[in-house]
Amino acid sequence: MKSISTSEGEILRVERLNLVFQVMPHPFWSWRDAFTQAVRNPLEVLLAEPDRLHILKDVSFTLRQGDRVGLLGVNGTGKTSLCRCIAGIYAPTSGGVVMNGRLRAIFDTAVGIQPELTGIENARLLAELIYPESDYDRERLVSEATEFSELGKFLDVPYRLYSNGMQARLCLSLISSRPCDLLILDEVFDGADAFFREKISARILKMISASGAVLFVSHGADQIRRVCNRLIVLADGHVVHDGDVESGLALYERSGARKDFSF
Amino acid sequence: MITGAASIFWRQVLALTLANLKSRYRKTVAGFVWVVMNPILMYSVQCYIFHWVLHIEIANYQLFLLGGLLPWIFIMQSLEMTTPILVNSGRLLKSFPTNPLIFVFAQLLDNAINFCAAFLCVLLPLAFFEGVDPWGIVGLPFAGLLLFSGVLAICWLLSVANVFFRDTRFIVSFVLSVLYFLTPIFYPVELVPETIRWLVKLNPLYLMIRPFQTALIHFTPLPFARDCAASAAVSILGLPLAAAYWKRKKNEIYLYL
Repeated sequence: MKSISTSEGEILRVERLNLVFQVMPHPFWSWRDAFTQAVRNPLEVLLAEPDRLHILKDVSFTLRQGDRVGLLGVNGTGKTSLCRCIAGIYAPTSGGVVMNGRLRAIFDTAVGIQPELTGIENARLLAELIYPESDYDRERLVSEATEFSELGKFLDVPYRLYSNGMQARLCLSLISSRPCDLLILDEVFDGADAFFREKISARILKMISASGAVLFVSHGADQIRRVCNRLIVLADGHVVHDGDVESGLALYERSGARKDFSF
Repeated sequence: MITGAASIFWRQVLALTLANLKSRYRKTVAGFVWVVMNPILMYSVQCYIFHWVLHIEIANYQLFLLGGLLPWIFIMQSLEMTTPILVNSGRLLKSFPTNPLIFVFAQLLDNAINFCAAFLCVLLPLAFFEGVDPWGIVGLPFAGLLLFSGVLAICWLLSVANVFFRDTRFIVSFVLSVLYFLTPIFYPVELVPETIRWLVKLNPLYLMIRPFQTALIHFTPLPFARDCAASAAVSILGLPLAAAYWKRKKNEIYLYL
């Protein structure tokens, strides 16, 4: 990651960020496929250049204290890839990401680690992964989160018996326990039942207001209006709008790009 | 001094290792005992078959087999369990910014704890009744560390390869079952014809096992140091190779999970 100096109040600076994946031209999922392809057309296999998927193209923006930024775009425009770059999961091909402070990013809510262990044991493990810094009182955090989840006696049941909704309750309760400097939420409101969604939305909104800045990925215009004070619209890996929420939503609607495509 | 990132990494590895240890035999009556009993039973049966039925004549055969078979079981279990681990943890890896290597390390550490427990259970009575050179016992932790780092390199490489080539884990199982007979575990290397013995000495799994055999049978410092150096070569070559492959493929992994 390139080093870029940041100004005061800036939590995140993304500068000319490019992300390119080199993908095998023939996606061999097995050695057998690789072998048969090599026998059928050895020259093609030997001379083939890897396909280049240019996911993010010169993306630049900054987040300051109090920014609650929505990230909008049709499927496959690079929203999740951008968030993963910021979270440090992907290494950018070029450009830089500079983070000042503590970051927490959530991309899925219905996950567990050890299906044979109970809900409370999985909650402790998840807390280790979500809150890796040593200064958290994890026992207290887990106890508050499990109480909020209202899973009661199900906390002592093996995690493999949990429904998706129960898993989402536990995960959402954990991730919404403590604020941070930058919070990245990627379509996290899905999964939980209607009653719990109301309850968790209120808690996440509270956490969002306590956090330094938020990057919020959603396809729901109402959710974006409720949460965000700024909107970034992505199209084909480019930032096509960075500013006011309503004009960004109008641009997104006008572009008529509500067709799904995937890379 | 351990940096912040390294300290987080090891704390997460330890938490996952404990969870693995807890969950593996949770629903069983004997629990952890099975983990230790399995290699001990394998050892006892093979000891009886090879020494008393097939009459492989080596002095202190029990110690010789201990030095070969238990490290082999550790290698076999580790390769088979860690090769598919990144694929199996795919959903979790895509959910939180977590270092995928903690899953590989935790599984390996889990297996290493079980290996140490089983090894000690067999070694202690044998050392008492058969007699082992105390310096050989001192050398065992070095052999163990070299084994751990060498197996780590191979597991790291294979777990990444399996993301892109899904039948890697089946090939690993097949190759291991063949190598069991081609690696001098239950017979001494001297029984291999001299013309092809050099091939055996190129087998990285044998290179990692050999220091255990030297430490337990007729320990002498120079051959032990030489065998440790050969075992270290597996890590010295394997770890940078695995790290380079990992660095090259780190981004693409998420596309294929």
